[in-house]
Amino acid sequence: MSRPGRPAGEGAPRTEPPRSFLRDNGLGLAFGAGFLLTLLGQALAGHAEFNGQLLDEGLAPVGLGGYVTSSDFAVDVTENWQSEYLQFFLFVFVTVWLVQRGSPESKAPHKAGTESDEEQMVGAYAAEDSPRWARARGWRRSVYARSLGLVMGAVFLLSWLAQSITGAAAHNERQLRELQAPDSWGAYLLLPDFWDRTLQNWQSELLAVASMAVLSVYLRQRGSPESKPVGAAHTSTGVEG
Amino acid sequence: MTGRWIGVVLAAAAVCAASGCAAVSERRDAATAATAHFEKALRARRYAAACAVLAPTTREELARSARVTCEEAMGQEEVPAGGAVRHVDVYGNQARAVLTRDTVFLSRFPGGWKVTAAGCQERPEKPYRCGIKGG
Repeated sequence: MSRPGRPAGEGAPRTEPPRSFLRDNGLGLAFGAGFLLTLLGQALAGHAEFNGQLLDEGLAPVGLGGYVTSSDFAVDVTENWQSEYLQFFLFVFVTVWLVQRGSPESKAPHKAGTESDEEQMVGAYAAEDSPRWARARGWRRSVYARSLGLVMGAVFLLSWLAQSITGAAAHNERQLRELQAPDSWGAYLLLPDFWDRTLQNWQSELLAVASMAVLSVYLRQRGSPESKPVGAAHTSTGVEG
Repeated sequence: MTGRWIGVVLAAAAVCAASGCAAVSERRDAATAATAHFEKALRARRYAAACAVLAPTTREELARSARVTCEEAMGQEEVPAGGAVRHVDVYGNQARAVLTRDTVFLSRFPGGWKVTAAGCQERPEKPYRCGIKGG
């Protein structure tokens, strides 16, 4: 509902909508559901592709259950997971020190670094509703202060390890189909297949981050927290809409 | 979910996927048994039994290239007695059995493991050269 004398909708201040689980978690739920649907789609498409190759070679096709537990499916999944988590790990860590003037993805240039305890609301500066480990001293505060990046980095490394293991298994399955000797895991890490899968994902993630950091200086998306307000100056940094 | 649990799930998924989520040892034993059965049939010159262990396209290619039945073609082929199975590599539904004097490739079919190539000699940086293989 708009106030009299003001343009409907866009200029009117909004009241807090009633809380509900779906409304409060819409972003996570929508992307989580999208993830499951696209993973299912990938499984169906990958299954058809894999069986097409087997039939072409006169080999027995596998069922969908067999395919989704195969190394062929696992390597396709994990090579994308590792690159996505690498992207977020780098973004979380690198933006502590590197800035992009004018970008809502960056903080103001004078704030580069880990900032003061007061700015970060830790220790004596923690608020009443601050997380318990933000008030704690020693290793707990140190760990908690880096927990987002650490978890992203750990998931990246584990996904990359999983990619290497499943990639080696999938590679060796192809080798045997082509009457060639299998390679060890260590040898696979030096093969083009491993690095092709890895780097083709890394380059796209780095391009996406770089373009988002720069394009968001000049372009706007009204209402999105990933964008500056539409009327914000190109030079204003660290402002989210 | 904490990072530790995500790690456990990912590691389990990796191990599961690498193993095909089935007992690798069971598949290795089955591939070894199929290889032994094939070798035994060859040594005994029971070519019908040896042909029964071949993969369909391998059997067809053997008969097509020799223009005789699989059994007759098998008798004409120079497939050496492979000897004992030294070790078997299994990845997914494919396997390689390295014997004392031969190497055999196998693939898993609904009816069990079948030989896709036999009488194979390793070549550096190239696929094995095989006396019997599919098209």
